[in-house]
Amino acid sequence: MSGDARVDPNHVQYGPIGHDLGAHGFTARQLTRLDEALTLSSRESGLMFSVYVGELKPPTRAHAEALFERLTDDAVLLAVAPGQRAVHIVTGPGSAKRLPNRACALAALAMRAAFTNGDLTGGLVTGLRMLSDSAGRI
Amino acid sequence: MSIVETVLVFVGIPGAIIAVIASGVYGKAMLHQPNRYRPGRPWPYTAAWFVPHPDAVLQPGPDPARPQLERGSTSVTTATGGASGEW
Repeated sequence: MSGDARVDPNHVQYGPIGHDLGAHGFTARQLTRLDEALTLSSRESGLMFSVYVGELKPPTRAHAEALFERLTDDAVLLAVAPGQRAVHIVTGPGSAKRLPNRACALAALAMRAAFTNGDLTGGLVTGLRMLSDSAGRI
Repeated sequence: MSIVETVLVFVGIPGAIIAVIASGVYGKAMLHQPNRYRPGRPWPYTAAWFVPHPDAVLQPGPDPARPQLERGSTSVTTATGGASGEW
């Protein structure tokens, strides 16, 4: 599934809040909102949500799926490439049972609406909430 | 009034007032501008991958998922579904 997409580990940073504020393109307040949404949606739904913001090599979907391969079955990846204006939601064998593609498409639609207005953080938070609500509680 | 006083009163005070108003109007926007995303503009920042705090996620089994998130992990999870979009 990964195709030619290769993930360079040097360009990926982990952690709810990065060490170098501003290097991600988010302010401290935006990072806090994102962290809160990530933690709350993961806690409520029991799924492990993760958010990737950065360049996705074309084909972008294959790159997003290659990133997902490092996660668990119950993970949900929201990959956003602001430069390429692409958003991908990837679910695994465990999370797809609770998040059908239709729910993902609805969340992607809402995220796109926010991204079009330039609200990157708002779109991510909205997407996380919608996916968490669709998945329901544990 | 001396020349210095005249300049201070007629240039310094209006300049200070203009500076205060300008900072009130544009100051916040200037602070947030570097981090604001604009559709169509390139995204020059480092790629970032955010994951929730491990304590917040309930993981089944004795082995938490945290080690699988480390770099260079060999475990492979196949993507089965999802959605895509462009704006």
